[in-house]
Amino acid sequence: MQAKEMTDGVHVPDTLKIPNSGVLSRSLGRLIKPVVTNYLLIVLVAIVVFGYFLSPYFLTSRNIGNVLTFAAVVSVIAVGQFFVIVTGGIDLSVGSIVALSTVVAAVGMKNGMPPFVASVLALLVSGAFGSISGLLVVKARIAPFVATLAMMSIGRGSSYLVQVGSLISISDEGFIHFFAGKTGIIPNPVILFVSVMLVSAFFMQFSTFGRRLYAIGGNTEAARLSGLPVTEATFSVYMLSGLLSGLAGLILAAQLTQGSSLLAQGYELDAIAAVVVGGASLSGGTGNPLKAVVGGLIIAVIGNIMNLMTIPSEPQLVVKGILIIIAVVFIGGKTQPRLFRKRTLVRRSRASCDND
Amino acid sequence: MVTIQGLKKSYPGVLALDCIDLEIKGGEIHALLGQNGAGKSTLIRMLSGAEQPDDGTIRIGDAYHRFRTPMEAQKAGIFTIFQELSLVPELSVAENIFISDLPKNKYGVLDWRLLKREAAKSMEWLGFSVDIEKPVKQLSVAMKQGIELAKALHRKAKVVLLDEPSAALPQPDVKRLFEILKNLRANGIAIVYISHRLEEVQELCDVATVLRDGRKIGSYAIAETSSGMLVRAMVGRDVKSSLLGEALAGENRPRLGKGETGDVVLSVRDFDDGKILHGVDFDLHRGEVLGITGLLGNGQNELASCIFGTRQLEQGVMTLNGRRVSLKSPRHVINAGIGLLPEERKTQGLVLPMSIESNITLSSHKEFSKGSIILRQREHIVVDRMMESLRVRATSSKQAVGTLSGGNQQKVVLAKWLVSKCRILIFAEPTRGIDVGAKEEIYQLIQNFAAEGGSVVIISSEIPEASMCDRVFVMSRGTFAGELCFNEIDIHGDAILNLCCA
Repeated sequence: MQAKEMTDGVHVPDTLKIPNSGVLSRSLGRLIKPVVTNYLLIVLVAIVVFGYFLSPYFLTSRNIGNVLTFAAVVSVIAVGQFFVIVTGGIDLSVGSIVALSTVVAAVGMKNGMPPFVASVLALLVSGAFGSISGLLVVKARIAPFVATLAMMSIGRGSSYLVQVGSLISISDEGFIHFFAGKTGIIPNPVILFVSVMLVSAFFMQFSTFGRRLYAIGGNTEAARLSGLPVTEATFSVYMLSGLLSGLAGLILAAQLTQGSSLLAQGYELDAIAAVVVGGASLSGGTGNPLKAVVGGLIIAVIGNIMNLMTIPSEPQLVVKGILIIIAVVFIGGKTQPRLFRKRTLVRRSRASCDND
Repeated sequence: MVTIQGLKKSYPGVLALDCIDLEIKGGEIHALLGQNGAGKSTLIRMLSGAEQPDDGTIRIGDAYHRFRTPMEAQKAGIFTIFQELSLVPELSVAENIFISDLPKNKYGVLDWRLLKREAAKSMEWLGFSVDIEKPVKQLSVAMKQGIELAKALHRKAKVVLLDEPSAALPQPDVKRLFEILKNLRANGIAIVYISHRLEEVQELCDVATVLRDGRKIGSYAIAETSSGMLVRAMVGRDVKSSLLGEALAGENRPRLGKGETGDVVLSVRDFDDGKILHGVDFDLHRGEVLGITGLLGNGQNELASCIFGTRQLEQGVMTLNGRRVSLKSPRHVINAGIGLLPEERKTQGLVLPMSIESNITLSSHKEFSKGSIILRQREHIVVDRMMESLRVRATSSKQAVGTLSGGNQQKVVLAKWLVSKCRILIFAEPTRGIDVGAKEEIYQLIQNFAAEGGSVVIISSEIPEASMCDRVFVMSRGTFAGELCFNEIDIHGDAILNLCCA
């Protein structure tokens, strides 16, 4: 059944194609189904077709590899950001944590740590930063926006302090290969982000953890009064977001062969844009990690097409902004584009609840 | 005053209103009755300009109207007071009354003197003594409704629509609201009154129109119609043999519990929150349905919150089968095996965007998962069985809970606790906002639950509801004023009322 849906529905890009065997594929199919039935993927495919006609280089394996490699960092952050947003929160500190992670890894290796140890250390530090945001939100009850805004500043500052001086270059071949090399013809960053995406999507869809997060985002009070561990779950999403930002930092550090406090500026906003274009509501309770990543890819592919058409970066920013608006108005939300809703905003909740 | 002819409205998949004819006269209080989903709210939305009918006409006096916005309806003299009032909480009483046409002096600046004078006058006319400079958010619901009425009168309302105005009001305020409405009626204003409480309709209204499934069943002169007849018209079947039918006919007082009770399962000792509650003690027995009632604002809500673990206690203990229950958070209470059914289903009981299925298993993730992966198959089987036995009306278990009617939503909340196999249920206002037919079913479910050895506490401000319990505690000023056994309660609940006022 799933196979039929996939072939009859829309063209599925290679990264999403899955072997059709047994239980695994059935559950994966159920994972993929909401994406296939969504406009989002259709839009992505349409853009790809569009790009094909605009530039002969667009559909070369080299260019596609480049786009995906470039999108890996933001995609991993976007998945982390999604966990936070689905609970109704937001995490502005992710870009700073990415920078911090690159610096910690670079400094570690410069001081003779094996790359594995340096990477784990970077992940731990990133997770710890996320945990602090989490504690500020659940214990000190600071609004997520404010708490993570503060952590964004602290994170960026700390990476300067750890770095001491200008950027630190990374020369360890093993590290660079693992996070930025290729396995066969597939770039490792792509493998990393696709695995992060699939594992997260799996947990959101099939685990009690995912249910909890949707419930908390849908109605925190009801989740609490149903006996869910709201505090613990909320804390954990910030930790996860920090951890995934750390991973994104390692990829970025390997791609650029450096650690620097100046990296990943504004990535938090790119990640939020990806999640939002992916159809999640900032008030929580909706969306999924696959869509968040697809949302990010839409932005990335359009950027790539504009690059191939040698459009300068300033107009690109304008296009990107317009794109976000269009995406949220037309494909965001679940089914009904906001533009076509009735004007009865106040009565909206009554209308949908009373059912008469 | 208002004549509606052939009004039709359909939403995707449902015909919400089917050729409704209705005449509302000036100087008349017209009740609009019907179960949830009957079309009352839709009709109100058409009249208030929130939505437009597909077909049909609305005539006020001699002029035909087609309202495209609430503003146009108001210009034509139709004002609607919704349950969630449309006041600006930060602004003062006076500013709220004049919100659409604040008086300006000759310099084009707000004329505060005139504003205050006029506002004070109109509030006084309604019989409210209130500081008109106070921000609205500091006032009680009754006061806010008064302000809405003042706003309507200020703009020369000919017709006032009230959507369940008494639902959130304590008893004395309901009386006062009735006085005001009667006063408006005497002044020739037409009033459309929606309520689920038939005793109010009997007391207040002149005419009742009953809707069912989007059709008009009939209009009845209240003076010649019994509550039983209205209920029958609303439900569409003979309810004589039902619990509520019996109660309404005054023949027999139904009983929710078994009547015989076993050992003490839950006991509450010396609850004190340092503010409102003090010295609250009770025991709950196996198979017992215990009612806690009283006039609104006497501590029932606070007591419920304390038992739910959402309100800090200064002292007091709760024990379940002799073991102390931590009241630190709802999670602790629930883990001890107590099910909580809060008053506000939509904001506290359910995750509206989630499916019925996910809501039902929300409190029993442990039983429905293995290594934190949800066992879809088991979940599906249990949920389907539960939906069938509770008769939850939905197209599928995947449907979002937010799209269900109030009664079905309450059933989903109940299903959540039945699935979690808890033996004790604490209800706060179990049937608030639920229509007659569904109320009946909820009562039957409570009856079954108690018959199978479960124990129930019902915290309710509806006296007829409380009088169906095995024992009733009446709250007054934060403590129990008295305890009544089932046999001590008379059919009209006067014994309870006496204790309320004691």
